[in-house]
Amino acid sequence: MTAPKTGAETLLIVEDEAQIRKFVRISLEAQGYRVWEARLGEEGLSLCAATPPHLVILDLGLPDVDGLDFIRRLRAWSAIPILVLSVRASETEKIQALDAGANDYVTKPFGIGELMARVRVLLRKEERQAAASALFESPGLRVDLGRREVMVDGAPVSLSRKEFALLALLVASQGQVLTHEQILREVWGSGHQEDTHYLRVLVGHLRQKLGDDPMHPRFILTVQGIGYRLAV
Amino acid sequence: MPYLFAVMVVAVTVALAFLLPWLFPHASRSLLFLTGVLVVSARASLGPSLLASFLSFLAFNFFFTEPYHTFKVADDGDVTTLVFFLLVSAISGNLASRMRQEMAERRASLARISNLYDFSRRLASAMGTEEVLDALADQLALVRPETGGTLRILIAEGQEEPPKERRKQGDDRLLAPEDLMAAWHQVERNPVVRGDWVFHPLATDRGRIGLVAMTGEPDPDRFESLRSLCDQAAMALDRIRLAADLEQAKLISETEQLRSALLSSVSHDLRTPLASIIGSATSLLEYGEAFSPGDRRELLATVAAEAQRLDRHIQNLLDMTRLGQGKLSLHRDWVDLHDIIASAIARLTDVLEGLRVEVQIPDDLPLLWVHGSLIEQALINLLDNAARFSPPKQGQIGIQAERAGDEVWIEVRDQGPGIPESERETVFDMFYSVRRGDRDNRVGSGLGLAICRGMIGAHGGQVLALPGGLGWGTRMRLSLPLASPEAKP
Repeated sequence: MTAPKTGAETLLIVEDEAQIRKFVRISLEAQGYRVWEARLGEEGLSLCAATPPHLVILDLGLPDVDGLDFIRRLRAWSAIPILVLSVRASETEKIQALDAGANDYVTKPFGIGELMARVRVLLRKEERQAAASALFESPGLRVDLGRREVMVDGAPVSLSRKEFALLALLVASQGQVLTHEQILREVWGSGHQEDTHYLRVLVGHLRQKLGDDPMHPRFILTVQGIGYRLAV
Repeated sequence: MPYLFAVMVVAVTVALAFLLPWLFPHASRSLLFLTGVLVVSARASLGPSLLASFLSFLAFNFFFTEPYHTFKVADDGDVTTLVFFLLVSAISGNLASRMRQEMAERRASLARISNLYDFSRRLASAMGTEEVLDALADQLALVRPETGGTLRILIAEGQEEPPKERRKQGDDRLLAPEDLMAAWHQVERNPVVRGDWVFHPLATDRGRIGLVAMTGEPDPDRFESLRSLCDQAAMALDRIRLAADLEQAKLISETEQLRSALLSSVSHDLRTPLASIIGSATSLLEYGEAFSPGDRRELLATVAAEAQRLDRHIQNLLDMTRLGQGKLSLHRDWVDLHDIIASAIARLTDVLEGLRVEVQIPDDLPLLWVHGSLIEQALINLLDNAARFSPPKQGQIGIQAERAGDEVWIEVRDQGPGIPESERETVFDMFYSVRRGDRDNRVGSGLGLAICRGMIGAHGGQVLALPGGLGWGTRMRLSLPLASPEAKP
């Protein structure tokens, strides 16, 4: 445990592997973030309680606390974004973590670029939510949630109600991954959690209308076996 | 019935003698009657033939000797005739019945021999314990006394364990465990009697295998044939056990061989990227200051790329273990093939660098009901291979998907040297490149295609290696049945 410093954006990394903590900390600090480290889950939780960080990077395989428990306990009183580090080959684990309240995940082994991109998305989301903007803009795509207007490369696109609902959901999540189940629940309502083929078809239609090549998507990214995210 | 027959024969004789008097003068009439008696005694046993001779005498006496139509005997010669009748019938009746008995015995022994022959043929061709037990049970059913009685065949797994019941005939009479155990310990080559039960051993020179327990009248005459049946069956069982032991030993040694081949190949696969990583990293540590920024970057890129290669090897090993242990459970879901291919290509960015990848998927291709990440892994392995065997510059890899009836096929084409026809099946063998002793840098542990086939096979599909069409190159074709959740078994 390192002593919390005072300053701008503070990140807490809860991870028992010292080597991983080290390179993540060095890289994050080089990007101007403040980093606290915790080796154990309990340490991490008490640090969060004492001075909430802006983001928690959590390894799911901690020696003392089950990763899912950590997420649930933190979510019981806090909405701090959680970025999960998880090993490959366990889609279920990732989905469980996301459904328990984690905001995104990175698969181990990961490149630092990937981690940084996720961290930026989550921190930006924090910022933007404060601003509560109804307008989303990314290269080529412009979505006005208030006026229900979508423009691709400057040309207006008309979407069906469901297509717009899906796009709006992805926009609201600001590039954070959404699981199939989360999308199905939001767009179709509860009771449709199993109907992923509706979702696949809807995404296909939406991509077509947005002129998004499924082989090289610009806007809607597929996260294999987990869900979708918006490119930001 | 034979008595009725005797009476009828005599009646016919009388009728013949009456109806055809010109054929039978007085003297030959007695011979006619004698013939009748012989006919009866040839067919029937002693009793009916005596009856026939007695009746013949009376009829002869009544109809054909003076005074006619009385039973009085006028002539001493007639008394002699009677005595002859009786004598002849006694002798011939006895002879005939002995002959018949012998024939019946001959027939029975012939049947027994042919049964035994069938039995030994069944034993000789038996491939497993069950078949031997069936043959033995059928054979014993023939030998078993018809008067009820019950029969059990018991087989022991080891010399010390009590034999367990495997076949049963007759009633449910209790076979007391203590009787069974006592018999099992006591029995050697001869039957043991305990309580109602007779225990016949199933044993060879290599030891005891089991018991045949029977109740019912112990018939010493049958012991010999029972013993020969049991011995034959025991030999067959022993042969099967021996063969199974050999098979097991062979399997173990093959597994051992494969395991060490895999270990050496895996260590090679893991060491190669590690060598580059350690080399690049230590160079940077030692001389980093002296390197130009470009060289430093290059070395670092090597570290990253090789580490990713290592990660793929490890993923393959994990997948192989899962496939090998049969723990691969499918989590099927609806997936868009575009997504799978895009994700596979994205994960292989480094490997595919410098190659042109062309993807052709029809827009109306239906969604697949599959375990997405497994199909992705299968494709990654195919693409990884295609990249490894592609010409280093200007190489092109084609990915094409097509629906054909109720399946979808996906082809990965490369411009590599191609696979000789004789090896198009063996490349899917887990240790194909291990066995070839290939240490070509391009060749991995050979797990990739085996895993690919395993994963596609788990979906009920198949993977084939096809010739490239132009005399070089390879088309790996993977086909998947178009399943749906409703059709799920």
